[in-house]
Amino acid sequence: MNRGNANDGRTATSESTDAQAANDRSTTSTDPNSMQDGSSGEYERTREQAIDEDGVVVDSALAGDRLELSYPTAEETIVDCERLDIPEGEVTALVGPNGSGKSTLLKALSSHLEPEEGVVRLRGDELQSFGQKELARKLGLLSQENDPVGSITVEDLAYYGRYPHRGFFEGISAEDREAVDRAIDLAGVDHLRDTELGQLSGGQKQLAWIAMVLAQDTDILLLDEPTTFLDLHHQFRVLETVRQLNEQKDVTVAVVLHDISQAARFADYLIALHDGVLYDWGPPEEIVTEQLLADVFGVEASVQYDPEIQILPKRALSERRR
Amino acid sequence: MGPIVRDRDGWVTRPLLLFCLTSTLITIVAGFVQVNFGTYSMTTLEVARAVTEPTILFNLDAWTGFLFGTELPEMEPGELIVWTIRLPRVFVAIIAGATLAVSGAIFQAVTRNELASPFILGVSAGAGFAVLATLVVFSGLAPFLPFIAAIGGTVAFLIVYVIAWKNGTSPVRLVLAGVIVNMVFQSLQQGLFFFADDLGIVQTAISWLTGSLTGTGWPEVRIAILPATLAIAIALAGSRQLNLLLLGEQTARSLGMRIELVRFLLSAVAILAASVAISVAGIVSFFGLVVPHIVRNTIGGDYRQLMIGCLFAGPALMVTADVGARLALGGTQMPVGVVTGLIGGPYFLYLMRKQRSMGEL
Repeated sequence: MNRGNANDGRTATSESTDAQAANDRSTTSTDPNSMQDGSSGEYERTREQAIDEDGVVVDSALAGDRLELSYPTAEETIVDCERLDIPEGEVTALVGPNGSGKSTLLKALSSHLEPEEGVVRLRGDELQSFGQKELARKLGLLSQENDPVGSITVEDLAYYGRYPHRGFFEGISAEDREAVDRAIDLAGVDHLRDTELGQLSGGQKQLAWIAMVLAQDTDILLLDEPTTFLDLHHQFRVLETVRQLNEQKDVTVAVVLHDISQAARFADYLIALHDGVLYDWGPPEEIVTEQLLADVFGVEASVQYDPEIQILPKRALSERRR
Repeated sequence: MGPIVRDRDGWVTRPLLLFCLTSTLITIVAGFVQVNFGTYSMTTLEVARAVTEPTILFNLDAWTGFLFGTELPEMEPGELIVWTIRLPRVFVAIIAGATLAVSGAIFQAVTRNELASPFILGVSAGAGFAVLATLVVFSGLAPFLPFIAAIGGTVAFLIVYVIAWKNGTSPVRLVLAGVIVNMVFQSLQQGLFFFADDLGIVQTAISWLTGSLTGTGWPEVRIAILPATLAIAIALAGSRQLNLLLLGEQTARSLGMRIELVRFLLSAVAILAASVAISVAGIVSFFGLVVPHIVRNTIGGDYRQLMIGCLFAGPALMVTADVGARLALGGTQMPVGVVTGLIGGPYFLYLMRKQRSMGEL
């Protein structure tokens, strides 16, 4: 993937000081009225494709169009997003402060939350047009918090991942067995196979859940904060597993990450959300700027791009300055 | 799909088999004790001979008589008592025990709450109200009491579901709605007692509300056997879905389960199972709550095992409890619900003490 000239992206973003302006620019779609600035052509997007800041065309595995998301129990719109793309075969990280709508967005992308307005398309087909099991064979989701399940073993859990592949009365096939073995191996929990979940540490538990979504054998994987609450070692284990999966099996990954520095190093693409609005979208080297950190996260930070992207947060900006 | 290899490392484990075997033995022993005693006195040998009498055991006419109510072949008085009065009561206890246990197990998975029971979702209160209303107001409908009880339970459950429904249901909302509906129906029941002008009616009503197997026979078996078999078959087939529900709603949904549909259907099966028990035995308290716990503590939480375990443990405990209810006080019979309540309550308290975390509510 050609990341282009990192500097261009950075200048482009830092020129626009207003978050809303940045958002308008990067989500400009087929609506001709909103193409006022000179670079309009660059940002034109079609249903299954997105064009990043350097004009590189990428296929979208998942795309959201004019999304307005809210929960049935609450009136207010939590996410309002003109256009959103999860590029095929890449790792995309959703970043943003608490309450910016990352998890909500992920729920909409996985059909757990029906959008108030707009549609989500999976390779061109509306999510709603898939049967639930059919969708579960294409798209896996690991929720942020899993209900405590004590008495089943890691292997049992991984076998549940095969649920969408099995008929109501069907037993376990050789294929199921292979998928589970592969998943357990990839998640690195082979030695814990017969251990009950209740006896595992937080990090081991998370790896066990990851083994379950891996056994699901989908080519799109959505992960909601898989590293939060884990120690550093397990954070890396989880991310390395995801990276491996992406590289070896070309799985498209969208992951909500809490830590922007981690996200910037780890992901191919970033989607930065602020107050339910898409602030910016693109490869980390292009969109992570001091401006973005100030606008989105409310921190003063310096960003180094050489030899690799590194974010050094300094202090929190006062609410008024944001 | 590839070819089906055997199911994974056999969930039919030695502890499960042992558990089922023990339960069966208890059922047989308790059943034999039940058949052995009564006002018409017979020696153990006579009873044993009557129970194993080949001219009845292998007589098609006799069985069609039992199961379809056709004319019975000639029998000696002892045989008649054993085969038409004492044994069918044991069978009713077996059916009621199995259905209540299975029903409780389903509700505990569906609501993801180990404190749930067939009756938490309003079934008992609804059925009780329907029974009382029939006895007090529409006494002409008394012959249809079992069906009316089942209908009352179902209606109450539907009300609970409607109250709990708000873009889908949640276990907590279901349980809370169940509590509310229970309270309303119980108030209605108490109100109805004031309109009962006959002490006999009140007694019948109370025996229904506490759960009793007194006087049950082949007619009850006939009513219950088909719906019970159906409910149990579906419950066993659905045990894998129940396992998945236990992983939590989010996970089950992301694995492609149609949560609301599965939850509703399985609840309906559980209602059917509970209604079967209610229609023949009334409201036997604590049973559906405690039996799944006993099984879970003994052989574990995998629902494929748990269901089978409940299927065997339920009858064992119900038959044993009914032996206590019928024979403990000598002359007077107690409702079996009193026995299950007296034993089940303290046992449950003991469980709560032992396991610090129980359920989510």
